[in-house]
Amino acid sequence: MNEQNKQKAKKDEVISALLLDYVTGALDRPLEILVETHISLNTQSAKQLRMLMQLGGVLLEECEPVSLSEGALDAVMNEIHAFEEAKANNEYSSSSQNRDNVVSFIAPSSEKLTTHLPRPLADYIPDLSCDKSWRRISKGLSQCRITFNGTEVEANIYRIAPGTAIPVHSHEGTEVTLVLAGGFTDETGAFGPGDIAIQETGATHKPVADDDGECIVFAINEGNIRLANPIGRVLSYLVN
Amino acid sequence: MESYSNMRKIDLVSGSIPSFNRPMGTGILNDNVSSRAELDALLTKVGRDKDKTAFAALFSYFAPRLKSFLLRLGTDMSTAEELAQEAMIMVWRRAETFDPKQAGASTWIFTIARNKRIDRLRRDGRPLPDMLDPAMMPDQPETGLEAVNRGEEEDKLRHAMKKLPEEQAKMIFAAYYEEKSHREIAEESGLPLGTVKSRIRLALTRLRANLDEIER
Repeated sequence: MNEQNKQKAKKDEVISALLLDYVTGALDRPLEILVETHISLNTQSAKQLRMLMQLGGVLLEECEPVSLSEGALDAVMNEIHAFEEAKANNEYSSSSQNRDNVVSFIAPSSEKLTTHLPRPLADYIPDLSCDKSWRRISKGLSQCRITFNGTEVEANIYRIAPGTAIPVHSHEGTEVTLVLAGGFTDETGAFGPGDIAIQETGATHKPVADDDGECIVFAINEGNIRLANPIGRVLSYLVN
Repeated sequence: MESYSNMRKIDLVSGSIPSFNRPMGTGILNDNVSSRAELDALLTKVGRDKDKTAFAALFSYFAPRLKSFLLRLGTDMSTAEELAQEAMIMVWRRAETFDPKQAGASTWIFTIARNKRIDRLRRDGRPLPDMLDPAMMPDQPETGLEAVNRGEEEDKLRHAMKKLPEEQAKMIFAAYYEEKSHREIAEESGLPLGTVKSRIRLALTRLRANLDEIER
């Protein structure tokens, strides 16, 4: 296998592992959002995810039934009855979110961001329209920090100007990066929209943004924070 | 309120944690439900007519399987019972959105149970993603042909599963049951944990290859 094929095989492996972790619920919330956003950008992965969900259905059918407690069906029926009554009396309100909010925002340079964020991610981002959201890190690189309830994981959106070379840096914890728009290249290969790159702890790399447009990435860093449920199986897949 | 208890059938196994050692393909035939189309029809009735008899039939098929699945995932007995019930309540509430052209009843109920379980694990009150929300799918519109073939797709998957050697089919099960059962398999087979994981990966690759072959 030549180097390029090896890189592609590795990328596919990472994505397969992430999708499986996603289906089985092994990922924490930020990584789930990253995977959902990836799905919205990649038909192949959407198909793979659908297969894994269907497989879940098949496995459910194959499960040897275990009886529920006495009266379980009656209890459930009572709940349903109460729910229907509450609904009839308008006590129940649907908690549907307004998912049609397309996030567009102004960068510190007041230059309008031309790319809309994909919806699964946009749905979870508060307000990016204010300049305060953005911090300039170095020439051609700005960062917007995203926080999620119930997790200390650090997540950021980075905007990288066309052709910008990010100085060599190492990562303290595992970092998972999803390209939202544009692309970049580093020692491990070229990444375009929808691609996922993983940097392991201690790895150093020197990404260079493609010069044909702004590169926007969503990056999650597990840092040194100890989590009950860290990057699930992905890490062990990589190690093996 | 009317009682539905008499509709419940008696399950073969009770209280024990289900084992891996069960041949594939026995899932649907050993029940009162005779086909997957029947499950889809029952769920459609619940969504369209709020049919409680149809719901009770779905309950007797799925609730004991959901409980079984959750137990395999290492959920304790009382939480598995609660989650199975909560998932079934959600099945009622969401049944209107069920579209048999998009997913079969088993797949649809699996995603509901998956979400319920994660919700419980996380307890942060955050709304969970809707797996069947079109927003989660790529923007390209599907061709009519693809949409119609969704049900067939699931049948092909079952066929591809059956074509797997039994050892590999077990690995697919294991992939869904996380670390706990990985270790179990490692102990049973005497293989290192890393090897178990790569065999799981291999089994999934093989399954995808089988699928491609069937599709061709």
